[in-house]
Amino acid sequence: MAVTSRPLGFAQWRYLVIYGIVLLVGLIFVARLFSLQIVNGSDYLAQAEDNRTAIISDPPARGLIYDRNGIVLARNIPSYTIVVTPADLPDDAGNVQQIYRDLSELTGVPVGGPVTEETLNAAKLFAPCVPGPSISDLVALGESNAPYEPVKIQCNVDEEIARIVEERASQWPGVDILIEPLRDYPTGSLTANIIGFLGPIPAILEQEYRALGFLPNRDKVGYAGVELTLNDLLIGTPGTRVVEVDVAGQVLRNLEPPVAPVAGSNVVLTIDTRLQQAAQASLQTAIEYWNDVFYGYYRISSGVVIAINPQTGEILAMAQTPTFENNRMARFIPAYYYRQLEQDPAHPLLNYAITAEFPPGSTFKLTTALGALNEGVVTPASVIDAPAIVRVLNTYSPTDEGKYEEYYDWTYTFYGETSGLGQLPFLKCIALSSDSCFYKVGGGYLPEVTGGGLGIWRLQEYARALGYDQQTGIELPAEYTGLIPDPTWKRIFKGENWSTGDTYLAGVGQGYVLATPLQVLVSAAIIANDGKFMQPTIVHEIQDNLGNVIQPFTPRLRWDITQDPLIRDFACDEDGDCELTGKMKTVSLDAVQQVQTGMRMAVTDSRGTLNRDFSFGNYPIAVAGKTGTAEYCDDVARLKNLCQRGEWPSHGWTVAYAPFDNPEIAVVVFLYNAGEGGRVAAPIVRDVMSAYFALKAIDTAQEITGNP
Amino acid sequence: MFFRSGFWRHFDFWLLGAVIIALVFGVTMIRSAIAGNEALADVVNRQIIFGAIGLAVILIVSIIDYRFWSGAIVPMYVVIVIALGLLRIIGGTRFGATRWIETGLISIQPTELAKIVVILALANFFAKTVEQPRDWKWLLKSLLITLGIAGLIYIQPNLSNVIVTMVLWAAMVWAGGLQVKQVVIIGVLMLALPLAIFPFLKEYQQQRVINFIAPDPNESYGDTYNVRQALAALGSGGLTGKGYGLGTQTQLRFMKVRHTDFIFSVIGEEFGFVGNLFVLVLLGFIIYRCLRAARLARDPFGSMIAYGVAILILFQGSVNIGVNLNLIPVTGVPLPFISYGGSGLVSLMLAVGLVESVAMRHKPLDF
Repeated sequence: MAVTSRPLGFAQWRYLVIYGIVLLVGLIFVARLFSLQIVNGSDYLAQAEDNRTAIISDPPARGLIYDRNGIVLARNIPSYTIVVTPADLPDDAGNVQQIYRDLSELTGVPVGGPVTEETLNAAKLFAPCVPGPSISDLVALGESNAPYEPVKIQCNVDEEIARIVEERASQWPGVDILIEPLRDYPTGSLTANIIGFLGPIPAILEQEYRALGFLPNRDKVGYAGVELTLNDLLIGTPGTRVVEVDVAGQVLRNLEPPVAPVAGSNVVLTIDTRLQQAAQASLQTAIEYWNDVFYGYYRISSGVVIAINPQTGEILAMAQTPTFENNRMARFIPAYYYRQLEQDPAHPLLNYAITAEFPPGSTFKLTTALGALNEGVVTPASVIDAPAIVRVLNTYSPTDEGKYEEYYDWTYTFYGETSGLGQLPFLKCIALSSDSCFYKVGGGYLPEVTGGGLGIWRLQEYARALGYDQQTGIELPAEYTGLIPDPTWKRIFKGENWSTGDTYLAGVGQGYVLATPLQVLVSAAIIANDGKFMQPTIVHEIQDNLGNVIQPFTPRLRWDITQDPLIRDFACDEDGDCELTGKMKTVSLDAVQQVQTGMRMAVTDSRGTLNRDFSFGNYPIAVAGKTGTAEYCDDVARLKNLCQRGEWPSHGWTVAYAPFDNPEIAVVVFLYNAGEGGRVAAPIVRDVMSAYFALKAIDTAQEITGNP
Repeated sequence: MFFRSGFWRHFDFWLLGAVIIALVFGVTMIRSAIAGNEALADVVNRQIIFGAIGLAVILIVSIIDYRFWSGAIVPMYVVIVIALGLLRIIGGTRFGATRWIETGLISIQPTELAKIVVILALANFFAKTVEQPRDWKWLLKSLLITLGIAGLIYIQPNLSNVIVTMVLWAAMVWAGGLQVKQVVIIGVLMLALPLAIFPFLKEYQQQRVINFIAPDPNESYGDTYNVRQALAALGSGGLTGKGYGLGTQTQLRFMKVRHTDFIFSVIGEEFGFVGNLFVLVLLGFIIYRCLRAARLARDPFGSMIAYGVAILILFQGSVNIGVNLNLIPVTGVPLPFISYGGSGLVSLMLAVGLVESVAMRHKPLDF
């Protein structure tokens, strides 16, 4: 190129510098492109893929809960929510305003004035579904967050309004009806303590549930009852969709074949709702009678009825009062209602069958009797004097001289200190519920009962064999263990030595002994079932979501006290000092049957505690049972100055089973602060038994005639 | 005489062809980049119309002897200064800066035209002073010519075009024979200048610079969002790209200002390394053809015009690509001939017309 003759100072080398710069810049760009696209291309591709990919979780339907006859106890009903998708609204502001006005007229939610920072901030304070903010504010809020996400305008609207909105879908672009499942409990408060209720996924479990595909603001989990304990069965598996989204979050298409959600399993409970209803009605009627008519003041604050099939362990009814309305927790847990329940002194949220422990009183004599008979402390032939007062030496250690103290029979309270039940064969001690007799048998009384009686160590062995001092393992949350004390326990927790008096009281289910109503029922059921402890259960069978049985009911034998050597053998001397021999032993079937006989005599003996017009006197079916009147002292009683001799308040108990020869049902009734169990609790047991046999008759008749 | 074959003998068809290819490719990519956005639907047609206008402008300007502009420098300079001044009064504000004059039909951005005027004015100045010594006085005069326009651009405010104008000046004084010792002194000053002017920048301008030098790791979705999304788009294209219309970053609108500032990333996503390399080669070829015209020009005025245009395309292209490759801070400079933009495109094509005019007349015309 002939540039040398140029007249200007644009020299060749200056061009070369420019070319050099062009080349350099070009090389830098190529190198950078190579680095971005070839070397790190896959990283950026992953970023881009991550941008456009969203994983959407589809909620599964929660499993249903039925009673044993197929009555629905928990189901899902649709709830209609009016939503507005901001991005789908018309472009024209006038059309949008028209839609808002029409919607407002239909729903009553205000249209709202011009949206300002102030109104938006006010609207932000409201949780979804809580009335307050205007349509304009709600939509403006939603639009700024996620324009393709539907904004809830009004929740739980009537089906009729939902239909109107659906009909106008073409005139109201952007307005839609969102159908969400809502848990519904047709039996409501009747079964609230068994079924429980749902709540939002708690923060502490959020990670766990998120990993499974559940979303904290949408999906719910069980908070109480079987909704809680069987949550894993009921909750199902969420479906997932991997979708392509654009920058505004609009879902464009599935990137992978979607995985459909799998509905949770259905659960059939052992409860018979009809029997539950009968138990509840009897309980409520009785409490109202005693409080409103008989005593004339609010005395019995709570009560529970449990019915079990002793041969299978199925819980047929578990009614209580007070209770609560779990349908009020369906959409969200209202703070004021929950606080009201929580602060109620009668504690309606507790399941009294298992989440409360009380002194079992005389119902615990079954345990003492079984131990005493099996250990040979007494025989059915033994005759024991049962005066109104037993004076015994109370010592805190073998070297303690001790002092004589008086222990009172229940006859003392009713008939005075010269009364008593006279000379009783041992089985009549059970039937007539003689406290004096059981003081002597439990703690020893020379010369009638030698060797210190059954003693606390051996009593504890038999109590545990009958299911006390441990959870029964029923599928309900927060079960208490109760308490069967021993000298070691007292030394640790009370800082005191065990005294002989403690043994006397423990033998009649007082003192430190505590039990849940279910434990009392289980102990009677084991005796009724000839020593076989059937696992108490509330779950009859489990079905998949199509109703196919995937886990049928099979009764589970926990143990048989006549077969399994559960009792640690103690060798006791004349003074009642016992030591472990290291051997284990069983309970003889004969001992079990003797106790059964004693329970039967409570009904058949003319002086038996259950042989009265209002209990099982002249009852057509052979019933056996045991009453209990358990004295207690709590803060309320102490304030009323009732914690002294002759004034003690008492809980009423009765546990019974029938028919005697082939028991199908065992029932326990517990009434807080009710007084004499045989008078207050036994009639409720009778009502439940009557209802049971009446229902059985109806079911049998239907089976024969084939009518549904 | 226009229809005689001799008149067009030295017309640079290679340059025109490269520009047309760039235009067509640009329109094609803009069509992909609008990604179904209805508000941008007419952008493609507008670009085609501007491209057609631009081609007409190339032909018209190449017919006019470039030496004609030497005599019209003063009126042109005055007109453009008035136009820039008018922006302060009647200009429309877009994105916070007044850069546009709204007419009935289209928005005119006088700044684009102003850069051509700077090239012509400096070329004229250097041609007139060919025989004068390259002393500080000479340098100062050329700087004043530039600052007359650059100052008005700065108050818009439009920092990137001030830089473009100042780079044009620097490149042209270099070609005009600036002494090496002056280069060193200016070089030192240029390094000191950014530090000196930083406090006088507008806050958003400061923020951009800060964001580039020290990105805040917590601000992933704030100020660095656009750059990160553009990088993900460009990088994810790999060797050959995802295919036309199939770039997810582009089509799902994760990237912003796709059809203007980040069209290079769109090309990267949909055509990959190969597509980007094609753009680099194409622009490099256009720049080469301009520099070739500068070297062949019959007089210093023509030579300096063609050279200035080459620098304009080089610098704007480099800045735009540098932004796309995250090598320099974000500025609103479009990719020459390919990005959408009416005034910018027509002005650049006018500049190409000037180069053609120079190339056609590098020897006495044959009649």
